[in-house]
Amino acid sequence: MTEMLAAADEAAALEDLHERGCTDGLPVVIPTAERVGRMVLASGQEADMVLGTMGPGHGTATIEKIAVAAVMAGCLPDYMPIVLAAVKAVIAPVFDLTEMQATTHCTAPLIIVNGPARHSCGPVSSGYGALGPGHRANASIGRALRLTMINIGKGRPGSSDMALLGHPGKFTYCLAEDEENSPFPPLHVDLGYAQDDSVVTVIGAEAPHSVIYSGDADKPEHYKSLLDLLAIGLANPATNNAILTSGTATVVLNPEHAATLHTAGLGRQDIAREIHERCRLDGAQLKQLAPAFAGENPPDRMAFSGPEQILILMAGGSGLYSMVMPSWCAGTHVNSPSSVKIESDFYCEIPG
Amino acid sequence: MRDGINLAKLGIPAVALVTEEFWPQGDFVAESLGMPDVPRIQLPHPVAGSGKTNMQKIAEEIAPQVIRALEAASD
Repeated sequence: MTEMLAAADEAAALEDLHERGCTDGLPVVIPTAERVGRMVLASGQEADMVLGTMGPGHGTATIEKIAVAAVMAGCLPDYMPIVLAAVKAVIAPVFDLTEMQATTHCTAPLIIVNGPARHSCGPVSSGYGALGPGHRANASIGRALRLTMINIGKGRPGSSDMALLGHPGKFTYCLAEDEENSPFPPLHVDLGYAQDDSVVTVIGAEAPHSVIYSGDADKPEHYKSLLDLLAIGLANPATNNAILTSGTATVVLNPEHAATLHTAGLGRQDIAREIHERCRLDGAQLKQLAPAFAGENPPDRMAFSGPEQILILMAGGSGLYSMVMPSWCAGTHVNSPSSVKIESDFYCEIPG
Repeated sequence: MRDGINLAKLGIPAVALVTEEFWPQGDFVAESLGMPDVPRIQLPHPVAGSGKTNMQKIAEEIAPQVIRALEAASD
C-alpha cells in the first residue's frame, strides 16, 4: 500500500506536499484515501496491480500510486483510462524514460490521444488552444503523467531531472487529434491500430515551435513552400535533430495546412517523405556551426533515418499556424514514440 | 473588429469584415468594448491564401453590403 501522510487540514497537507517535493509547484488536490479510492475504482483494476517501474528512481507504478497522481492533478475519474495508457507508454522500454527524465535537454512527454476515448474519457480537446489553458482533460491528464514522473519516477529538478531550463510542456502536454476534421486517416490507424481502438501515443518533444504559412490557391505548386517551412522548423541547425540526427519528431498540422497538402494529393506518408527529403543538412555548415558534433569532414546528412521518424497529426484552430516539435534524439531508442491502446473496458462508472 | 469599433467611436462610419470562423470572437470583442451592435459583415473562411480570383469574387459580393452599412452608419 501507499504510505499514508497525516496533516491537520488540507491547507497543511498542501504545504507538506510542496515541502516534500511531491508537487509540480502548483497547488494540487489533496489525495485523500477517499478520493484516491474513487479513482482506483474508476480504473476497474486492483489498487496494487503493478504496471512497471519508472526511472530514474525506479519507483513501482501501481494503479493506486497512479491514482494518487491523477487526483493531485485534478483529473475526473473518466480520464483514468487515458492516464493509465500514458503511464504504460512511458514505462515501455522503447521510451527510455530513465534517460529522458535525466537529460539536460528540455524534452517532455507529448501525449496524443486518438479514437473514441477522446470523447468518452474526456473530452480531450483537439481544437483552438488545445495545448494551452482552458481544457480540463488536456491539462489534468498531462499533469497526472508528470506527477507520476515526479513521485514514482523521482524526477526532481537539479538532482535527477537535469533539464537546464525545461519548458512549460513539462507541466502538461496533451492533446487529441482532430480526426473529425482531418483529411487523413487517424494517426493510430496509420500506426496499425483499428479505427475503433483508442490509443495514446507519447513522444518526447520540445516545446511547440510555430510555423506560419499562408498559401496561394492561384499557385498550385505553392504547397511545397509549406513543406519547406515545416522542414526548416523541424530540423534547423540549432536542433538536436540536425546535430544528433535519427530521432522522431512531431508535426501538428492545422486544418488549413492539412487541407492544402491533401488538395495537393499528399497523404500522411507522402507528407512525411517530403519533409524527410527536405531535412538534409549541409556538412560544411554543420562543421562550422557544431564542430564538436560534426567530425573532421562531415558529409551532408539527413536529420531523420526515414519518413517514419516524422510523426504527423492534425489539430488546432483554423488559420496560418502549424506547429513542429523538434526532439531530444538520444537514449538507446533515440527518441522513439510509444503507443498504447486505451483499455476502457475495465473502466467502472462511479455513481454520484 | 477593434479598428472598426475605434473608428465608430470617433464618429467615422465603419464596418468590420469578419470571417465566419472568427464571428464568435467578433461578437466577444464588440460586446467587451461596449458596442455589441457595431456593423460587421461575415466573410467565408478562409480568405487569406484562397487566390486572387476568389478574393475578387468575395469583394464583389460584399461591396454592396459594405456600402449599405457605411451609408446606414452615416445617417
